[in-house]
Amino acid sequence: MPEPTKISKKVCMLGTFGVGKSSLVRQFVYQKFDESYLSTIGVQLSHKAVGPLLDKKTNRPVHMNLILWDLAHLEKFDPVVKNYFHGAHGAVIVLDLTRPQTFREYENLIKPFFETNPESKLVLVGNKTDLSADDHPRTQIAEMAANLNCPCHFTSARTGENVELVFQTLAENIL
Amino acid sequence: MNDYLEKILRAAKLAFAVFDQDFFLQDASKLLAQYAGGRLQKKSATLWEVFPELIGAEDKITELLEQKAKKYELEKLSRFDQEGKLLYYTLTLFSHQQSTLSGAQLIVLITDTTKETSLEQQIQQQKNEIRLLHAKVNQYNAQIPNKIYGQSAHIQTVRAFIDKIAPIKTTTILLLGESGTGKNLVANAIHQQSMDQNAPFIEINCASIPETLIESEIFGYERGAFTNALTSKKGLLEEADGGTLFLDEIGELPHPIQAKFLTFMETKRFRRLGSTREIGVQVRIITATNRNLLQAVKNNEFREDLFYRLYVVSHQLPPLRQLGDDILLLAEKFIEIYAYDFGKKVKGLSESAKSKLMHYEWPGNVRELRNVIERAVIFAEHEFLEADEIILFELRPMATTTSVATTFELPENGISLTELEKNLLRDAIIKSDGNQTKAAKLLDLSLDTFRYRIKKYNLDNFSAY
Repeated sequence: MPEPTKISKKVCMLGTFGVGKSSLVRQFVYQKFDESYLSTIGVQLSHKAVGPLLDKKTNRPVHMNLILWDLAHLEKFDPVVKNYFHGAHGAVIVLDLTRPQTFREYENLIKPFFETNPESKLVLVGNKTDLSADDHPRTQIAEMAANLNCPCHFTSARTGENVELVFQTLAENIL
Repeated sequence: MNDYLEKILRAAKLAFAVFDQDFFLQDASKLLAQYAGGRLQKKSATLWEVFPELIGAEDKITELLEQKAKKYELEKLSRFDQEGKLLYYTLTLFSHQQSTLSGAQLIVLITDTTKETSLEQQIQQQKNEIRLLHAKVNQYNAQIPNKIYGQSAHIQTVRAFIDKIAPIKTTTILLLGESGTGKNLVANAIHQQSMDQNAPFIEINCASIPETLIESEIFGYERGAFTNALTSKKGLLEEADGGTLFLDEIGELPHPIQAKFLTFMETKRFRRLGSTREIGVQVRIITATNRNLLQAVKNNEFREDLFYRLYVVSHQLPPLRQLGDDILLLAEKFIEIYAYDFGKKVKGLSESAKSKLMHYEWPGNVRELRNVIERAVIFAEHEFLEADEIILFELRPMATTTSVATTFELPENGISLTELEKNLLRDAIIKSDGNQTKAAKLLDLSLDTFRYRIKKYNLDNFSAY
C-alpha cells in the first residue's frame, strides 16, 4: 500500500445567518456543540484532514486537508464575496430545516460562487434535524439538490448526525 | 531585528513574514507566532503551512511575484490563538525585489483588527438575534392562530363546515358555542379561506363596548354628531369593506342598535351617526354567541327578525370535553408554543398529567386549557409535565347537571370560604370570557360588588388565567 498523498483544498460554508454553519464546522473539527448562538464576522478558518480517500485517477490513497472557510452571512453585493470565494474547490450550502425562508436565500450566493469557481463541487445540507420532524422541508431540499445536481444530507450539529458524512462526501467529489 | 522595531510593530498591532521565491519562510516578526503557532520554522515552513487561508490563492500570489498586481488583501479573517482567544486580522500580501540579481520575496503583513471587529461582531450578533426572533415569530404567526388542530369527528365537521361555507362570500354566518370554543378562530379561518390576503378582518366584541358607544363604533359618525365628535370617523363596517366583520357576543348587542343592524343586513347600506347620506359596503358578516339566542328572543332581549336573519347559516362548535384525544393534541401544541416562548425544555405530558387533563370537564374550553398549560410550563421542573403541575379549577363535577346547586353540606373538616369565593369569581370570569358585567350576573352580584371582590383577591388580570 503506497503512502497516502497529502493535499489541501479550500471549502466555503455558505448560508444565511443562524442556519448552523459554524456549529457544523465546530462539530466536525472539534466534536463539540454550543447551544449559544455566536454570529460570525468575516471568515473563521479551521481545518481537518479527511481520508484516506482513493484517488481513482492515480489509484493512490489521499489524505485531504479541508481548509474550512466558515463565512458570515453575506449579501451577493458584498465587495468581499468574490475575494472570499476565490480558489474554493467546494462549498457546503447550509439550510435550516426549521426556517423554510432560508431555502430561498442561498440562491443569491450560488451564482457568484459558481461564477468565481465554475468547477467547484457542492453539497446541500438541511441542518437541525433534531428540531424538525416535518418531512416537507426535507422533500423540498432533496428537490433543490436534484436541480443543482449535487448530493444532499440532513444533519444535526447538536447530535453530530451525518456531519462527518457531509464533509466526506464533499471531499470525495472534489477528488 | 532591532528590539525597538519589534516594539513599534507590536504597538501598531502589526506582524510580518517574508517568504523566498520558493515560498519558504525567511524572516518574521515575533508577534507572528501568536497567529501561526508552531508553524514558524525558518527555511522549512512554507507559505501555506503558515497561512492556510492562502490555499486556493496561488494564482494571485504568482501575479504579485510577476509584478502583475501590487497587492492582495484578505480582510476580517479570524483564528483561535494557542490560548483559545479569537483573533481578527487582515492579511496584506505584496512582493519585494532587493536587487535585479535576486528573486522577488513575498511579504505578508498581518494587521490585528480584533478590537474593532469584536465591536462589529457584537452589533451584528444583536441584529442577527433580532432577525432570528422575527423570523420565528412570523413563522408561528403564520402557522398557529388560524390553524384548527384536532382529529376528532367534531373537529372534522368544523373543518368541513368551513370548506363548504368559505366560497360563498355573501352568506351571513352565526357561530354558536360555549365560551372558549374557538369561535373567533373559526371566523378567522373562514375569512382567510374566502378573502384576498389583504382583505380586512375586523373583530368586535359587542359585550366589551359600552352601550352608548357601540353604535358609533359600528356605524361611525360625522363631525358634530354628538358632544366631543370633533372629527368624522369611519365605523367598523366601513373599515371592514371588502372583507369580514366579526361580531362576537352578538346576543349582547343593545336592542335599539339591533334594528339598525337588521336594516344594514337587509340592504348592505347604512348611515353614519349625524349623517343623512347612505353608505354601501361589501362586507361578510360573521356573528357568534354563547347565549341561547332563541331564549333571548322569548325574553324580548333579542329581536326575532334579526335572529332569523342571522340564523341562515349557523354552526355549533363543540366544547372541549367532547373532543376526546384532541385535548391531549391541543395540550401538546400549547406546550410546544409556551416552551419556546419561555425558553423551557418541556417536551410533553406525563401519563398522570394526560389522565388528569382527560378527566376534567373544561368549563372554560380551549381558552382554559391554554391558560392551564401556560401556567404549568412556566413552573415546570421536568421535561414532561406531571399531574401536580397541572392546576385545574375543579369547581364543576364531571357528571353534568342542569340544576344549579345553591346549597351544599359543609364537609367535616370544613373549607376555606375565601378560597371558595376566589374560585367562584375565577370561574365566573372564565365562563364570561372576561366580561365583568356577565360574570357579575352569573354570581347575582352588582357590577360594583363584583369589581370590589376581584380587586380584593387580585383577580382583575383576566389574561393571567
